[in-house]
Parts: sequence; structure tokens; C-alpha cells
Amino acid sequence: MNYVIAIVLGVFFGFSLNKAGLTKYNKIVNVFRLNDMAVLKFMMTALVVAMIGLYGLRGLGLVTFPAVPTTYVVGNIIGGLIFGVGMALAGY
Amino acid sequence: MKWLINQIRKEEWSPYAAGILLGIVGILTVVLSQNLLGASGGFENLAAYIGKAIDPKNMYFNYVMPAAITFPVVLLVGVFFGGMLGALSSGTFKFRTMDDEQWKQAIGKQTWKRWLLLFIGAIILEYAAGIAGGCTSGLAISGGMLLVPAAFLFIFGMFASGIVTALIVYGKKY
Repeated sequence: MNYVIAIVLGVFFGFSLNKAGLTKYNKIVNVFRLNDMAVLKFMMTALVVAMIGLYGLRGLGLVTFPAVPTTYVVGNIIGGLIFGVGMALAGY
Repeated sequence: MKWLINQIRKEEWSPYAAGILLGIVGILTVVLSQNLLGASGGFENLAAYIGKAIDPKNMYFNYVMPAAITFPVVLLVGVFFGGMLGALSSGTFKFRTMDDEQWKQAIGKQTWKRWLLLFIGAIILEYAAGIAGGCTSGLAISGGMLLVPAAFLFIFGMFASGIVTALIVYGKKY
């Protein structure tokens, strides 16, 4: 594993989170109060860009996907439900 | 060039612009390191050092999240400096006690209350990430971009309970 790559990727990851304002309490909570959708816009834009990029690259045979997160319906939903409580309380 | 510097100096970008940056980082993570972005996993790997000291035979800390300096742990170090760089570039870097104007108006002025709820919230958050198999970044975003069903189930659960919790916390001020 290359530590340098991980650090550099982390720096850009943290930078984008900071610039999107996700390091602020009110941004996170207001998405649950349904009066500021910045978090959702940010997440969905990242999703769409990465989806197109990754599936495009895989179609060209340039990349193989790593082990994907496993799907276990009950665990994912219950985990998500508990997670939302923590996220709305902490705001991060 | 000047335009670019001005953009970097901005405190807050359009969420779409920041989202595109994160999307590219997500692609590069898979291409360059055969890993996925994530935040909660790194904390669990670090917690495993303590967990194993207390209970050496613990299944979770031996097999699911072993104590090791893994990719997410190193990523977290980068995230720390990346966030700092973001704040420094816009001149908003400062030490603060986590007090937020909106929080003060809605819940109360005491900082200890904020810290207590933040601490409890963070425990719930990390515990839930353990159950679900990831957090907002590790499961919802990284899983979502590979079109994994788990990610969308997770996002559904997160918003359903998040909205209800915000409703309870804010009460009439919702």
C-alpha cells in the first residue's frame, strides 16, 4: 500500500469537504430540517461524476473495481436508521 | 490563473463544484489504490488497538476491523490536513469550541451541552457505521458510485431517522 497516495487523496477529500461547508454543524443539520440542500447537492454531484467516470473506465477495461461494500438489507437499513440519529445530534 | 486563486480563496464553493472535485477524488482512489474513500473504517481500525487490549478474542476487532494502519487510517491523516488547508486558504482557520450560532439559538448557550450531545451523537454514529458497513463517505458515496444497493438503503435510513431526530431536537423551531 502506498502511503503517499493515501495521504494525497485524503488531502483532496478533506479539502472538498471543507469547501462544500460540510465541516459546519448548521450545514449538516439543515439538510435534515429540509431548508438547505447543500449536503445533498454535494453528495449527489460526487456520486454522478464518480459513477460515470468509474463505469466508463471499467467499460474501457482500464480499471477493476475493489471489493464492494456488502449488501445485507436489514443491517444496512437499521445501520442507516441509527446513523441518522447520530448525525442529526452531532451535526458532523 | 488569477481566477483560480480567487476561487480557492473562497470560503464556500458551490456544492456542485465541490461535488465534482470529490467525484474525481473518488475515481482516482479506485484507479490509484484499489480502495474506496471512507472515514469511519479508519477510526474502527484505531479503536481496535484499544478493543484488543481489553478483549483479545473479540471477533469484530480480530476479523472485521483488525488493528492495523490501513488505507482509511492514512486517509484520515490526509483528511485532517486537507480540511486545514481548506480553512487556511480561505482565511477562516481558527481554534473554536464547537459552538455554532444556530445551535445556540435553538438549544442553548452552554458549550458543555453541545459537547455532550456531540459526544453521544458521535458514539451512535460510529456504532451505526459498524452495523451498516460504512458511513456517509464509505458506504453512501463510495458504495453509491459503484451502484451498490447497500448504499441506497443506507441513504434512505439515514434521512428517515435524521429528519425525525432533527424534528425532536428542534421541536417548535424546526
